Amino acid sequence: MNPTSGPGEEPAGAPRPVRRAVLRAVFTAAVLAGTGGALAPVLLQGQGPGGPGQERDAVGPERFSELYKGREIRGTATTVVPAGAQAHAGTSFAAPAADVSVDGRTLHVMRRADGSYLSTVTHYESFPTLLETARAAVDELGTAQLSAVSPHTI
Amino acid sequence: MHSRKNQRDLTRTEKKRLVDAILELKRSGRYDDFVTLHRQYYVTDGESRPRPAHMTPSFFPWHRQYLLEFEKALQSVDPRVSVPYWDWTRDNTAKSSLWAEDFLGGNGRPGDRQVMTGPFAYRRGGWRIRAEVTDDHFLRRNFGRPSAPVTLPGAAEVDRALGDPVYDTAPWNSVSATGFRNRIEGWGIRGGRGIANHNKVHRWIGGSMAGAASPDDPVFWLHHAFIDLLWSRWQKTHPRARYLPARALPADDPQRDRIFPLDRPMPPWDVAPSQLMDHTRLYRYV
Repeated sequence: MNPTSGPGEEPAGAPRPVRRAVLRAVFTAAVLAGTGGALAPVLLQGQGPGGPGQERDAVGPERFSELYKGREIRGTATTVVPAGAQAHAGTSFAAPAADVSVDGRTLHVMRRADGSYLSTVTHYESFPTLLETARAAVDELGTAQLSAVSPHTI
Repeated sequence: MHSRKNQRDLTRTEKKRLVDAILELKRSGRYDDFVTLHRQYYVTDGESRPRPAHMTPSFFPWHRQYLLEFEKALQSVDPRVSVPYWDWTRDNTAKSSLWAEDFLGGNGRPGDRQVMTGPFAYRRGGWRIRAEVTDDHFLRRNFGRPSAPVTLPGAAEVDRALGDPVYDTAPWNSVSATGFRNRIEGWGIRGGRGIANHNKVHRWIGGSMAGAASPDDPVFWLHHAFIDLLWSRWQKTHPRARYLPARALPADDPQRDRIFPLDRPMPPWDVAPSQLMDHTRLYRYV
């Protein structure tokens, strides 16, 4: 059994991850049309000192799908919050409208006050983007598969 | 009154008693209740619910009570047992006796990270974890995270935390840049510092300890006993310093209902931080 290779995928040990689609950290038409309400608070937060985009980890609506170390990772965030926005005011974020998976299994993510993410796999370290969170989870998982059981039902 | 020892000083018999008591709690199902409890109260500061355990001033007292409850459970199996502490600034390699065959077993194997040695190896039959994070029922470890290496925190990192004269600071969460509590809990601060101390140790062990069911690895208790000891050392170093916040925050503070000032009872035990400031009536560190 080699979980790192599957039909139509890169063989294990490929020299570098194959990007199936580029990370689209921009306002896509679909996001604008579909989640205008979710964007509103973000745009407000973007008015803060320094503004959005000042740091590389100010995240837009993230969407990615790639093969990383032989694992298929996918993610979408439907809310747009610059990581770190108003962190020192103790701003809280709504439950993340983020959907991340590794080989089709859901990777549950949580959020810190600075907008960064942690997952059930890396619970003591956070990452500015969902993509980095997913990659870190793969690094930690090794060849293991995520649980098929939702923690919310336990 | 009982003593908590440095794990390196335990006799062979003491190690065996501790391991046996842990295995018995596992067999009876009580161990997994502790794992669930920790998960249940792991609320992040990105949420608006109360968070008694992490990213919060009550990180120390909540875990003190949690350890006391676990220790009580162990002692109901064997009254001679207590939770030892692991000073990871000193015993900081995979060769430590902590990870030996007769105690906690060693690192996970490459690939699936499965722990293959010691009493908590799956194949020994006494340690089946619930598949809540991965699909596997075996304990996982990934010492030092070779994919992006981390080392265990050294004495200097601990000393920086012990030297901070203030217990905790606004905004009383994971982005508090100063204060003893977050320097030990160890959340990275953007543009400031990376993960430290408590968090870094979880990360160094990796596998189960890095994830949402971290108490699945029995080293959790030894790690947190040392964290508890560090709190006690900080109190001795700064005898006039007090737990903060001492009182409820102003009504307009978004953290007001989410954190636990000195006298607010913490779930699930209804014990306030103020009741846990002094452990010397209950146990001592030797």
